[in-house]
Amino acid sequence: MAERLSPLEPVLRQGSYGQFENGVGIILSETAPGSIVQLAAWPGQEKAIIAAIKKATGLALPDGAGGGVASSTKAAFGFAPAKFMVVDEAEGVAEALAKAVAPEGGTVTDLSHGRTAIRISGPKAEWVLAKFFAIDFSLVAFPVGAGRSTMHHDIFAQIQRSAADQYDVYVFRSFARSFWHTLRRGCEEVGYEVR
Amino acid sequence: MSPRRATSGGRIDRLRTIHFTFDGAPCTGHAGDTLASALLASGVTLFGRSFKYHRPRGVLTAGIDEPNALVTVLRGDVREPNIPATTVEIYDGLVAESQNRFPSLAWDISAINQLAGKLISAGFYYKTFMGPAIGPLKGTRFWMLCERFIRRAAGLGRAGRAADPSRYERMNAFCDVLIVGSGPAGLMAAASAADNGARVILAELDARLGGSANWSGEIIDGMPAAEWAAGLAEGLKAHNNIRVLPRTTVWGFYDGNTLAALERVTDHKERLGKGEPRHRHWVIRAKKVVLATGALERPMVFPGNDRPGVMLAGAARRYANEFGVLAGGKVALFTNNDTAYHAATALQKAGASVAAIFDVRANVSDAMRNLASDAGAEVHAGHAVVGTEGSRALAGVKVQRFDSTNGALSGESRTVEADCLLMSGGWSPAIHLASQAGGKAQWDAELQAFLAPQAAGNWIGAGAFNGSFSTAEAIAEGHAAGLAATGSKAAANDDLPVADAVAGDPAPASVFEIRANGKSFVDFQHDVTAEDVRLAHREGFVSVEHLKRYTTLGMATDQGKTSNIPGLAIMAEALGKPIPEVGTTRFRPPFAPVSVGSLAAERYGDIRAERLTPMHDWHLEHGATMYAAGLWHRPMVYGDPGETIEQSYVREAKTTRETAGIVDVSTLGKIAVQGPDAAELLDRVYTNMFSTLAIGKARYGLMLREDGIALDDGTTWRLGQNDFLMTTTTANAGKVMQHLEYFLDLIWPELKVTLTSVTDQWAGAAIGGPQARAILANCVKETPVDNTALPFMGIVHGRIAGVPVMICRLSFSGEMAFEVYCGADYGTRVWQALMDAGKPFGLVPYGLEALGTMRIEKGHVTGAELDGRTTARDLHLDWMLSKKKPFIGSAMMDRNGLATPDRLQLVGLVSLDSRALSGGAHVVEELDEQNPHGSIGHVTAACYSPALGKYIALALVKGGKARHGSRAFVSDPLRKRFGPVEIVSHHFYDAEGSRMHG
Amino acid sequence: MLITCPYCGPRDVSEFTYQGDGNRQRPAPASQNLDAWNEYVYERLNPAGDHNEVWQHSGGCRSHLRVVRNTLTHEISSVAFARGHVAHRSPAKRGTKT
Repeated sequence: MAERLSPLEPVLRQGSYGQFENGVGIILSETAPGSIVQLAAWPGQEKAIIAAIKKATGLALPDGAGGGVASSTKAAFGFAPAKFMVVDEAEGVAEALAKAVAPEGGTVTDLSHGRTAIRISGPKAEWVLAKFFAIDFSLVAFPVGAGRSTMHHDIFAQIQRSAADQYDVYVFRSFARSFWHTLRRGCEEVGYEVR
Repeated sequence: MSPRRATSGGRIDRLRTIHFTFDGAPCTGHAGDTLASALLASGVTLFGRSFKYHRPRGVLTAGIDEPNALVTVLRGDVREPNIPATTVEIYDGLVAESQNRFPSLAWDISAINQLAGKLISAGFYYKTFMGPAIGPLKGTRFWMLCERFIRRAAGLGRAGRAADPSRYERMNAFCDVLIVGSGPAGLMAAASAADNGARVILAELDARLGGSANWSGEIIDGMPAAEWAAGLAEGLKAHNNIRVLPRTTVWGFYDGNTLAALERVTDHKERLGKGEPRHRHWVIRAKKVVLATGALERPMVFPGNDRPGVMLAGAARRYANEFGVLAGGKVALFTNNDTAYHAATALQKAGASVAAIFDVRANVSDAMRNLASDAGAEVHAGHAVVGTEGSRALAGVKVQRFDSTNGALSGESRTVEADCLLMSGGWSPAIHLASQAGGKAQWDAELQAFLAPQAAGNWIGAGAFNGSFSTAEAIAEGHAAGLAATGSKAAANDDLPVADAVAGDPAPASVFEIRANGKSFVDFQHDVTAEDVRLAHREGFVSVEHLKRYTTLGMATDQGKTSNIPGLAIMAEALGKPIPEVGTTRFRPPFAPVSVGSLAAERYGDIRAERLTPMHDWHLEHGATMYAAGLWHRPMVYGDPGETIEQSYVREAKTTRETAGIVDVSTLGKIAVQGPDAAELLDRVYTNMFSTLAIGKARYGLMLREDGIALDDGTTWRLGQNDFLMTTTTANAGKVMQHLEYFLDLIWPELKVTLTSVTDQWAGAAIGGPQARAILANCVKETPVDNTALPFMGIVHGRIAGVPVMICRLSFSGEMAFEVYCGADYGTRVWQALMDAGKPFGLVPYGLEALGTMRIEKGHVTGAELDGRTTARDLHLDWMLSKKKPFIGSAMMDRNGLATPDRLQLVGLVSLDSRALSGGAHVVEELDEQNPHGSIGHVTAACYSPALGKYIALALVKGGKARHGSRAFVSDPLRKRFGPVEIVSHHFYDAEGSRMHG
Repeated sequence: MLITCPYCGPRDVSEFTYQGDGNRQRPAPASQNLDAWNEYVYERLNPAGDHNEVWQHSGGCRSHLRVVRNTLTHEISSVAFARGHVAHRSPAKRGTKT
């Protein structure tokens, strides 16, 4: 398979930036998963879809609004009623999920190229994200694994807290470079490293 | 040591000297000083000139309520005018200037306005400049003549022209309890709420936490109040559930307990940290709010009360106790309440000599008399100040006997020598935020002040905000508020800090004004006098709202923080009504001025959001001039050196029609419509049928709104039985998505359909022209692309450069054309492969201009024609209206008004004078350049057509179809473009479509 | 103003799009009753007090919501998913037509 070109590739430069002399508050990276797949369940079929996700990826998605689960190579979370996002390091998961989901269960939509995944981690992750999104990033309101749908002006984002100090932000590909630029700006005062 | 600096005391660091300039002169102060305290310490008394009369003014207050001492702060080329010197923290290298003076602060030429005071009293502008222009010196015409001079003479600081390079940021915060104000009440509330485990934000507008504890001079728990507060503030830092925000003004209280605050992050810094914003706009969603905002002192209104050297007593107490600065050497006081006596003590302790206290009340308590005698001050009960002497600084005060029961003056006036007069007209709780939250303020007759309305927002008040002016009350109420905000209750045996202070009577005498000869100022910043208020009353203004607008009282940048109550009291007296019947205005946000930059924050400049296609960098590398289409950036033309835009697009369009061209169409809206009812949904939203569409085929579709007006058009591809890919115009992608979601959620919830925006999933390239098929054949693998495999509106799947692609044969340009879609991350790779394959054929990339040109030649509609007013018939798309099924808009589209023959209909125009036409020009039957009239329509899009060799346009023209072949004119008075055109069919080029069908 | 989305929780109003009067009843698709269509397409209630409104959480889960909002105080007394909730018109709450 041909190599994929991320919208961030020409602008993502590793190094330390901003006010990092007293330590780095943020680490920014692009996770570039091979697969980003959306699943939607017809009414009453949520459990069937969650089972299909389990079957195809091994991820056990907790029930409940915005519930999610994350490992080092794959993740899944709910982002809207009866809608789920499955992310995997490997390519081709959309096909596997399509096989696992019957038409009477729901739909599978491949968004592997349509969304760009940016990872924001570090002790200042909550602080920086709060500059852009009007949602509560504290651990009590946003537990590890959970997903949220929100927006920064025109930039729609799905966010999963993949660890206590780590968030994966999925933005529309066309906005990725613009958002990256904005994000870097917001990180400067706390010092950040691009990996 | 400077003349007015006490040798000890205060919260400044005498070991650190700060150097700054004021009006170009080098000055010094200490770390912890404000600009006002540093200048006062240096003996400066004159801070500015007043708004209208250019009277010399000193500093009146010590905080955000300052009306007089406004300065301009300069950073590089950037000027920020109208900043109260009382709120500017000094730093090394600070440059500040006084305002509204010419040529200098000490000698101001416009001070002559004082002699013309009668001419520029209340309503001066309305009376002089409003109304019809009769005669040379009246009305709006006169205003236009005078405006430049008046604008220069009146007013505030001058705004700069340099662009502000500062960074501003927004911050969203959530908490259980927001505490506004960090005086004893706020600190106690913060401590008890944080102890209860709540997430707390404590916002303080000053740099230093502690509020009144910093200047009360009282003892709390056996130590100076300031130390007690500093200790408590330090203790709060140990909690990780509290965020302390100094230099943060909470300025707005909105619905749902959403509060807005401005944090001044770097205004006090000489050097900014990398990436630090200047201001941060906080949006705080708090479950509960504790308002511990304190109270603001009111001036007394008497002649000459604005002379430099006249200051609020509480402010002087603050300068003495917090900054170690003496407001004067020889001090007199004038009061209607007990608090001024504490000021006398503070000044005496700091080293001033206190000459006398004039109290309007006949009886002064023993406790206060003792304070006065400790301060070495003589108490003159039943006395009032009736005038002040001196020019640019106070030299003496004129006093007379006064009867507070009837306001009568008696006896001879005498003059007391003083260089400083401290006045106190009582205190008004700072209820601004509570008032914003809703409800009507309540007048408290005893305190002579408005108290906060009963809680409309989810807030709890504490301390002076509640009219509880003693520190002991503040501590108890703050403690209780912090607990109440976290769902628990204060107990009687709670161990609270003990405040040791001489108790005073919180109630002032109800005396606001001393009526004697001379200008008595109510609103210092807008130069509104007591006489102006009475004049407004005599002229018939009875409502406090009208009073405010007519006199401009309370409408300056300080929003009447010191003037509202005195102004209201004078109006009430003139009306013969009690104050609560006259009413008060409801406070609106912001509590204090807010930088516009902080509100624009991240929506400004280069961090505005933009959308880029997968091939964006390729376009830039190949000479594209980019064009912002909404948020998208799209190539306009790929100009060769030396070409004009028109030459470029004509070349691109011509080459496309002669050989082949390729355009980036990734911006087209794309919606995945999936599910067993997907075809049914499409049948309901499109005017034509989609359930009959075969898998692997595409169809052009038109959508209407419910009212029968055209909404959008585009092709939809059937990729599987339950799987469609809908395309929309670039501009309408979001609107169409929302339209479909609305119907699915509200009208047809029984349909099993998933809608997903996949615009960004696919890169799209449209390749068209006589050689397009040959180019594809040259690079597409795993599928044939000949006419049998890929007929018009057919779809095939194959590979280009190893990448899976989906190719649909459809045409916007009118040529044999194909849209090639691939995963967006492969976009550039596939695009480049197409370019390489097309090179031997002379394939050119083309931009939006050539795209527009070819679509105009073909008469295809886009957003300019789908303008929310046109119907399918108007656009000659009625052939698409299915009669076999109802669809959105089908019921309303046949209404009389939408079917009349004289509606604006789509036509083509050909320029008959060989000059360019332009969008927006009117179409008229008869040309009248002097008096353009009689529009029969307008041009929607125009270009030079290389295919026709003419300037052409699309237009919407009344009864357009019937006018084909007739002559008309374009009339465009703004751009001075008039000329003859011929009205023709909108199908300029290859009307039969033989080219695209091949 | 905050709207408590049943899926996402309380969110700022800037994440939502107002989608109009929630009392409207769409005639049957094939209905030719122009009066009914006219009422549905053009007529809106504008009560001073509780109002049935439709909002979309367009900057979140994208669900359409049925919201009862007091037009005088902005107080929101109920929010529910529009999907699965049949549009209902409460005669008592009918306000003035505008």
